[in-house]
Amino acid sequence: MRDVRMGRRVFLGVVGAGVAGLFAGSRLSRAASPIGSVVPNALHDLVPDGWRIYSVNPPWPRFDPATYRLTVAGAVENQLSLTWDEVMALPQDTQTTDFHCVTGWTVGNVHWTGVRLQHLWDMAKPTAEAKYANFISMEQPYVDTLSFKQTLLPQVMLGHSMDGQPLTRAHGAPMRLVIPEMYGYKNVKWLTRIDLVPTLNAGFWEQRGYDVDAWVGRSNGY
Amino acid sequence: MDAPTATEQTAYVRRFSPTERSLHWLLAGTFFAMLVTGLILYLPSLAQVAADRQLWKSIHLGAAIAFWGGTLLLLVSAPGELQRTARELDSFDEDDRRWLRWAVRRGGTEPPQGRFNAGQKLNSALIAGLMVVFTISGTLMYLQETDASFRGTSAILVHDVAMYVAVPIVLGHLYLALVHPSTRHSLRGMALGTVRRDWARRHHPKWEREL
Repeated sequence: MRDVRMGRRVFLGVVGAGVAGLFAGSRLSRAASPIGSVVPNALHDLVPDGWRIYSVNPPWPRFDPATYRLTVAGAVENQLSLTWDEVMALPQDTQTTDFHCVTGWTVGNVHWTGVRLQHLWDMAKPTAEAKYANFISMEQPYVDTLSFKQTLLPQVMLGHSMDGQPLTRAHGAPMRLVIPEMYGYKNVKWLTRIDLVPTLNAGFWEQRGYDVDAWVGRSNGY
Repeated sequence: MDAPTATEQTAYVRRFSPTERSLHWLLAGTFFAMLVTGLILYLPSLAQVAADRQLWKSIHLGAAIAFWGGTLLLLVSAPGELQRTARELDSFDEDDRRWLRWAVRRGGTEPPQGRFNAGQKLNSALIAGLMVVFTISGTLMYLQETDASFRGTSAILVHDVAMYVAVPIVLGHLYLALVHPSTRHSLRGMALGTVRRDWARRHHPKWEREL
């Protein structure tokens, strides 16, 4: 009878497949991302739907439509403090874009409804000093920043509805910054305040070594 | 069926050494600690219940360190012993290959097996490989957080897929060890070290003969 060293072949096969996956996986995960979008809504909370919920200071902020304000301040002629009804009365846009996380996961074809920042700037009238926008979360101390020009990219919006439903608490209710060209950490959740400022302030993750311009596929070592 | 005599029923033989059992229970304990904390970090519904990511992450990483630290300690404390076990698990003879075919088809009589049957050998090789994959991808995930040069690999995807492969294997293992009537006696061997001689003769005759 011939003995075969099969255990080590299986062992090495598993390890080899895993290591190969590390390098081939980003293509695979993009191919697999539509799987998440066919999961029925009722199941979204029970099974992984492609999203991972990250937060930095639990518990998650709670949205109260009665007391919520969206503040726009800093280098503006008119400081704004909008109630939730006033935000919803602004012109609304929709878009379907992919969401990429810097840790390597992607959710494809996310359907967003929200408000373009141009409508806020029309009301607040930024001054010449307004070179950067700090997006401040109700989850302290989370903040991230875009250049004023980046806030006007065509797919940037303040999203309050995702895949046809109001944004859930996990996803940053009532509203998050959506900038699909950049990784998720720029897409500030639980947004409550925007400060326009003359100089760049490092955002939460930028203070921890991540790139300021978090272009998908062209930053953070990708 | 060969009806065991009264003396055989009470006769026990040692199947697993204290070192082997320690390694098994170290893996079992740390695996489930990592599974539970990992699912909390992974599933949106659980993230809501337990939002303190830092705490779960620390337990998850702590369990991984405990697993490898403990494994190293066992390797050092009983030199050669686990290596001998690994050689035993590694080696598949003709009966093992026939046993695998038999296990798939469930036809005919069970080919005789040694101390480990071919399924147990396969299980240990798969789980050992998966633990290495978990460790490599998990280490990369940890490094990616603070160092951009480790980003760009699909560590998170590999870690997820490894979980989807490992969990059904472990559930099957639990079924055979806890539920299935003819195999669950083996739990005694892993818990106390010994199994009934008549059970060993039925399930692991090539090993039992040599005792």
